[in-house]
Amino acid sequence: MTDGALLDVQGLSVRFAMPRRSPFGERLHLEAVRDVSFSLRPGRTLGLVGESGSGKTTTAMAAIRLKPAHAGAVLFEGIDLLGLDAEEMRQRRRHLQVIFQDPYSSLNPRQRVGAIVREPLDLMVADEPASRRDDRVRELFGLVGLRLDQMALFPHQFSGGQRQRISIARALATRPRLIVCDEPVSALDVAIQAQILNLLRRLQESHGLSYLFISHDLGVVQFICDDIAVMYLGQIVEHADRPALFSRPRHPYTAALLAAAPSLARRKSAGYVREAVVRGDPPSPVNIPHGCAFASRCPHTQPRCREERPLLRADAGGAVACHYPLG
Amino acid sequence: MAGPLLSIRDLKVEFATRNGPVTALDGISLDLMPGETLGVVGESGCGKSITALAAMGLIPDPPGRVAGGSILFDGEDITHADAARLRSLRGTEISMIFQEPMTSLNPVFTAGDQIAEAIMLHQKAGRAEAGRMAVELLRTVGIPEPERRARSYPHELSGGMRQRVMIAMAISCRPRVLIADEPTTALDVTVQAQIFDLMRDIQQEFGVAIMLISHDMGAIAEMADQVSVMYAGRVVETGSADAILDDPLHPYTRALIGCIPVLGKAAGLEGRMPPLAEIPGIVPPLHLLGRGCAFADRCLLAFDRCRAERPVLEGRPHRVACFAAEMEAA
Repeated sequence: MTDGALLDVQGLSVRFAMPRRSPFGERLHLEAVRDVSFSLRPGRTLGLVGESGSGKTTTAMAAIRLKPAHAGAVLFEGIDLLGLDAEEMRQRRRHLQVIFQDPYSSLNPRQRVGAIVREPLDLMVADEPASRRDDRVRELFGLVGLRLDQMALFPHQFSGGQRQRISIARALATRPRLIVCDEPVSALDVAIQAQILNLLRRLQESHGLSYLFISHDLGVVQFICDDIAVMYLGQIVEHADRPALFSRPRHPYTAALLAAAPSLARRKSAGYVREAVVRGDPPSPVNIPHGCAFASRCPHTQPRCREERPLLRADAGGAVACHYPLG
Repeated sequence: MAGPLLSIRDLKVEFATRNGPVTALDGISLDLMPGETLGVVGESGCGKSITALAAMGLIPDPPGRVAGGSILFDGEDITHADAARLRSLRGTEISMIFQEPMTSLNPVFTAGDQIAEAIMLHQKAGRAEAGRMAVELLRTVGIPEPERRARSYPHELSGGMRQRVMIAMAISCRPRVLIADEPTTALDVTVQAQIFDLMRDIQQEFGVAIMLISHDMGAIAEMADQVSVMYAGRVVETGSADAILDDPLHPYTRALIGCIPVLGKAAGLEGRMPPLAEIPGIVPPLHLLGRGCAFADRCLLAFDRCRAERPVLEGRPHRVACFAAEMEAA
């Protein structure tokens, strides 16, 4: 247990049952998240980084009980969310909100956007008088930079960036303490992405929000996150604060991700050649290798890596799951 | 120095819509030099994919049509070429790889059969020979166990492998021009890096000229020799990659570079990073563009002339279409 953590996830595992091969066959499971632990302090942003299939979204959704966990505990302000009954959980939901990746499918096309932003208030704080809720909706539209006369429009009348502002207003409605941002800018053009990232950070500072921020884009993560957990095949392989992770990656996978990400500084004209490109694709999560999950692609694999699974252990301010961390 | 291999001159493409004809490409000019990579960068809706389709003679007609200008491939204007000539050009001289490898491969044929089909159509090879060549191509693009993978169907391949199959198909007839429309957008960064490395290797080995279309300035920096920046169906700035990235002249290019959360720049910094630059507003709908500069409404430097008159590309070799930049230079 970490002192003063808003969200403390301990040993979280999520698995999905696969179809049986025969009626008497053994049921196989896809281990989407394996023994993941992290904690998030109030007012900070924790980034979950990884490639598609690494389990970053599943981890976040299981942490706020939008997906069932197989094992583990999720302490939110000291109370285990996984142990709450349905009504108690519903009460807590006002403190836990989500902004989804796709601003097109996450808003009801038949509802006016004013009603979309108001809905969480109607569901969670119905004891407040209706006029107070109306005021709050107007306040939210101002906060995210939309005009009040736009409240009567439908989602299709907005651009992608504006829709994401509506999603943010909806997430803020019940004054949550934690917002899960699931790739909130990856469907947007860079110019719009910059507007939304600046908005998220302004709101964090003015409202004391904590973000669990899921992204595959390291530039975005470096901009918005204070701490970063790098996931690979359902496990955290490295956990560190931003300066340490970006200046001195310890896990070979983190180093490979940083080397692979395009950057304006890497020029063809300057004869840039990438060092340490990982080969191939990640292994299947149904059939996870015995040792280190990254061993098949790692440029520094030793025999021990294939036999013994490395555990996440504290190391120079962060934590790394590697037998032979980089210097 | 030899002339450009593919030269687009004042190309105008219109689409019929409910709002009347909309000009998707409004007199763009691009030059692709032999053996070089031209990066075409811009936000969604700026016309970069339409440019790629036009260069392949693939504008859907109707509703679209080439309303003016020319596309010269090795001196031949392909906007006036007939269907048969276009088909032979597409297979043997110009080929294309698309963004989504899953939807651009046929799900009911094996990877090897699809590559062999392209070879048989364009190279008068028999079935058995084409099959052998397909396996060789799969080896060239770095697919492990090519004999086995040639018998795989697209759904049995990962995203990165599918894109390698697409590249194998595109280079099967040794084209001189390869048009890559967002080839790595659907892929993870470590796979994207592998595909970029492969494209560079292919360029070195076969000397193919690549037109890389992307929204990602980082990808452009890494891959391109020359860069053209597009906005609302027009080219606003063009020059060498270094000139565009280090010394952008157009306010749009400057703003676009300023918006990018740059990786690594402030890696060691304690505390929070400074806010990103923003471009106010959004790209205007094409049917509402005025007579002036398309960027004028969002531009901090815009003055009266920008709204009344349309700037044209000036300067050489670094060209920019902006009155404010012109005044700055004078």
